Amino acid sequence: MPLATPPAPQRLRTGARAAVTASGLWRAYGSGEAQVVALRDVSVAFASGAFTAIMGPSGSGKSTLMHCLAGLDTTDRGTVEIGGVSITGMGDKVLTKLRRDKIGFIFQQFNLLPTLTAEENILLPASIAGAKADPAWIHQIIATLDLQDRLSHKPTELSGGQQQRVACARALATRPEVVFADEPTGNLDTRSGTEVLRFLRKSVDDFGQTIVMVTHDPTAAAHADRVVFLADGQIVDDLQAPTADTVIDTMRGFENHAPIAGEAR
Amino acid sequence: MLRATLKGMASRKARLVLTSLAVVLGTMFVAAAMVLTATMEKSVSGVIADAYTGVDAVVTPETTGGFDQPANAAAQNIPAETVEAIRAVDSVERADGAVEGQVNAIGDNGKLVGTFAPTIGLNWESGEGQNDYLTMREGRGPEADDEVAVSAKFAADSGYGVGDTVTVYSYTADRTDFEIVGVYGLSGDRDSLAGETQVAFTTPAAQQMMTGGEDVYTSVYVYGDEVSTEAVADAIGSDFKVQTGEQASEEAAQGFAAVSDFMGYIFLGFGLVAVFVSIFLIINTFTIIVAQRQRELALLRAIGAGRGQVVRSVLTEAVVIGVIASILGLGLGLLLGWGLSEIVSSTMMGGLPVTLLIPATTLWALAVGIGVTVLSALVPAVKASGVPPVAAMRQAVNPPKPLRGITIAGAIVFAAGGVLMALGLTDNLGGEELTGILTGVGIAFVGVTMLTPILSRPLVALLGAVMSWSFSGRLGKLNAGRNPRRTAITASALMIAVALITGIATLVSSIKATTSEVLDLNLNSDLIVSGAQGGANIPSFSPQTLEEIRALPEVESVGDVYMDFFGTRVDGQDAMLASSEDLESALEVFGGTVAEGSVADLAPDTVVVDEGTAEDRGVALGDTVEVTFADGQTEELEITAILEGYDLTNGWWVAPEQIEHFTLPKPMQAYISVEEGADVEAVQEEVDEILADEPEVSVTNNAQFVEQQTSGLDTILAAVQILLALAMIIAVIGVVNTLVLSVLERTRELGLLRAVGMTRGQVRRMITVESVIICVFGAVLGIAVGIGLGWTVQQALEDEGLSSFALPWGLIAIYLVAAVIVGLLAAIAPAARAAKLNVLGAIAYE
Repeated sequence: MPLATPPAPQRLRTGARAAVTASGLWRAYGSGEAQVVALRDVSVAFASGAFTAIMGPSGSGKSTLMHCLAGLDTTDRGTVEIGGVSITGMGDKVLTKLRRDKIGFIFQQFNLLPTLTAEENILLPASIAGAKADPAWIHQIIATLDLQDRLSHKPTELSGGQQQRVACARALATRPEVVFADEPTGNLDTRSGTEVLRFLRKSVDDFGQTIVMVTHDPTAAAHADRVVFLADGQIVDDLQAPTADTVIDTMRGFENHAPIAGEAR
Repeated sequence: MLRATLKGMASRKARLVLTSLAVVLGTMFVAAAMVLTATMEKSVSGVIADAYTGVDAVVTPETTGGFDQPANAAAQNIPAETVEAIRAVDSVERADGAVEGQVNAIGDNGKLVGTFAPTIGLNWESGEGQNDYLTMREGRGPEADDEVAVSAKFAADSGYGVGDTVTVYSYTADRTDFEIVGVYGLSGDRDSLAGETQVAFTTPAAQQMMTGGEDVYTSVYVYGDEVSTEAVADAIGSDFKVQTGEQASEEAAQGFAAVSDFMGYIFLGFGLVAVFVSIFLIINTFTIIVAQRQRELALLRAIGAGRGQVVRSVLTEAVVIGVIASILGLGLGLLLGWGLSEIVSSTMMGGLPVTLLIPATTLWALAVGIGVTVLSALVPAVKASGVPPVAAMRQAVNPPKPLRGITIAGAIVFAAGGVLMALGLTDNLGGEELTGILTGVGIAFVGVTMLTPILSRPLVALLGAVMSWSFSGRLGKLNAGRNPRRTAITASALMIAVALITGIATLVSSIKATTSEVLDLNLNSDLIVSGAQGGANIPSFSPQTLEEIRALPEVESVGDVYMDFFGTRVDGQDAMLASSEDLESALEVFGGTVAEGSVADLAPDTVVVDEGTAEDRGVALGDTVEVTFADGQTEELEITAILEGYDLTNGWWVAPEQIEHFTLPKPMQAYISVEEGADVEAVQEEVDEILADEPEVSVTNNAQFVEQQTSGLDTILAAVQILLALAMIIAVIGVVNTLVLSVLERTRELGLLRAVGMTRGQVRRMITVESVIICVFGAVLGIAVGIGLGWTVQQALEDEGLSSFALPWGLIAIYLVAAVIVGLLAAIAPAARAAKLNVLGAIAYE
């Protein structure tokens, strides 16, 4: 793939609305000599009801992109829209509420509060909002994730895979506009990782959930509908209907051009 | 390793400063107490020594007491012929007979002159004879028997000056008017020696006023070259004590220094409480530091540091903190001690010049500060050495340790304390009951402290349930219950302070309840004439006033009481003597009845005693006892009646004719019963008018009487509360410390919560609830322990007359509210820190 032709953000699946859109994002850390530009003019849109993976080597800016998209980090320039609403420039209070109501998160680890049971963790965003979660929906997620027998367990009593499944359930519990998953399988063995990825796939296919997943694992990326490749703060490639092989090939392609590692922030 | 330790400390400045503060406060109070006591003693003895300059010997009666024991009787005085005998001794150049004693003077405002210290009466001649003792400021010394000169402080306090007339009386002499003819300064022309006020009479007037006799003296000042005390003693016989000027001056100084000694003890007590509370704070802080440094310590271990080196690394930190904080505390303590000395001398001792004295013992404060810090850090330090090297490589997880060990140990300690208390309370310790009970209380206290972790589980859950109405509150509750040991040790510091306050408050309310119960049960009177206890005077009033009250038409009867316990004895043992002009009325008021014999024929050769006292002494109706009066008079009296059913005034009732032998031959209290149907309030007003000239006493109804008799306790309670509030400040520092640690440890959790939508306000609420739960937990425990403490002491003193137990509900409620407020305040900084948390930083894990 030639580096010179970055994909246009409007290249979406036919008929699909964009759940998350970023236009002209710039993000730099530090200043002067020590300044590191993490994002350089990134424009990308994530289709509603699609499973998109963001890939790239360490320091490519993929985590920064996700943080900016999710309203966890601020941008220097450019705008982010979630569900058609611009979140750029929102105050902390509004952003917090947006994260609570419109966004689901799955992190690599430390997804769960150790003091709460699995069920309480699943209901966490609703509890924070002081709202009642839809019982039928919660029941369905729990059944899909096969967590019925684990609901009253504390996180320390769950295996890594089970913990991550609880995190998935938590992320989906509020029917968010988009779920951001940051290396969700990074800490899991292959079998547990595959279970989690299958569930994410299923939630897109069966429930129409939008998922944006940051990963460095080509096999994980292969579960997505589309893979966006980042390098040096820029989108360098965009792959539809990926397989593990095409992902690996693409990565090899730009790894040859990638800057020497160590420039990461 | 030392460098690494010091650099590490520099990076933990804030926490170390907070911890040091606790040590500083403790050391400061201990040092201040020592400086205050030593300085006041030195200052007082300095001025007294000045006053005695040039006096070569002092002769006093063997039996005389201090200022608290008024002299009146002939046996306590020195007759004129003894003074002559002293003058006849070879080495004696001059001997001045001095007449000194306590008097009461009524000031311009109708109240007694002098507040903290007594008014001293003396004969002008003897004072004038002492070198530089008196300096005339205005007018002259008294020349006629109706003239007096007064000290400058007397003039200031009374509002009188030269030419005014002042009314003076004493225990033995009735009100007499004197014309003030001069005002003098004392010993370096100061207003007062050490806070007292003085009135100087002519010698005959002084003898009349203070000895009730003629030509007798209370002491003799002897002057001359190389006066031999032995020669003087030989000349006058064994009834008198002969001291050198220095000895007499030291003895006099001790009496004056009593006030500052008392304050010194209070400050020492609070210093020690502060030190005790600091122990918990230091343990906590070092546990925190060790937890934070776990990876660093593990790394040190991994690269080859021995266990001992790790322990030393932590202890070095403790030593540095201990030394710096203790030195700082010592310095501040010296300043505080000096400042307090100045305050005490200017408010209570009439501008006594302060001679700062820093006793060598002050260094103990330093030792205490350093010792406590290092010993407290020892446990966390040893724990730190147990960090396995692999901990450096993995994420720090601190699973809470099981509580079984400490719970079992705590239960054993508590039980041991309880058994000791029970044995003491059931009188099974062979005479050492009170010691046993108090030791038991102390041991049980330690036991409860060890049990706090296990107690924290149900209590935190219960307290948390109250605050779980919001989700953030529920999370706060869960967090408070996460590490029972930490929650417990944090709350313990608060517990100690609250327990002490509650214990004292419970005792005070029990004393009040007892007083009021005894009065309700026993008193059949409507009004009481009495004065508040605890001033420089024993309140009393004149017998004439009593007559006037009896003469009021609405008054049915008046039970008057005279009492004496200064050197009074029955069959050689100390005993309280009482008398009444109307014993039958008095008994009726007290609800006493005659069990045997009759009180009607109480005569100078008979005595009446209550059942309990008779039983104790093993005497019965018809027996003869030897009664010794305060003035040394000894008489054989026959018991003609045994009383029962009253316990306000247990003792020996003698006939009114014997009152002249009493130290204070004046009624101290009168219990008035009004005619049936009469308006009690109106009578109270009439009696009040009669009492217009009686500055020492007032008329109260029964409820007011309880207040009056216990008003001193409220003052003590207030003072104790203020000082213990300082211990609470230290405890609050501990709460802040713990919360900051919790916030640090839960950075990722907080990040997660913020990421999934928890607002800053909710985060703050969560931390605040945790803080309030810890504080209220500490307060609830403290109140429970304090009530137990108060109950135990009340039980121990039940035989001494503290029969009722009452809880200070109002104060308990205030302490709980205070705990909530303290929790809210302690949470401010940690909650702000948690709310400001950088979400990205918290969830980053690369």
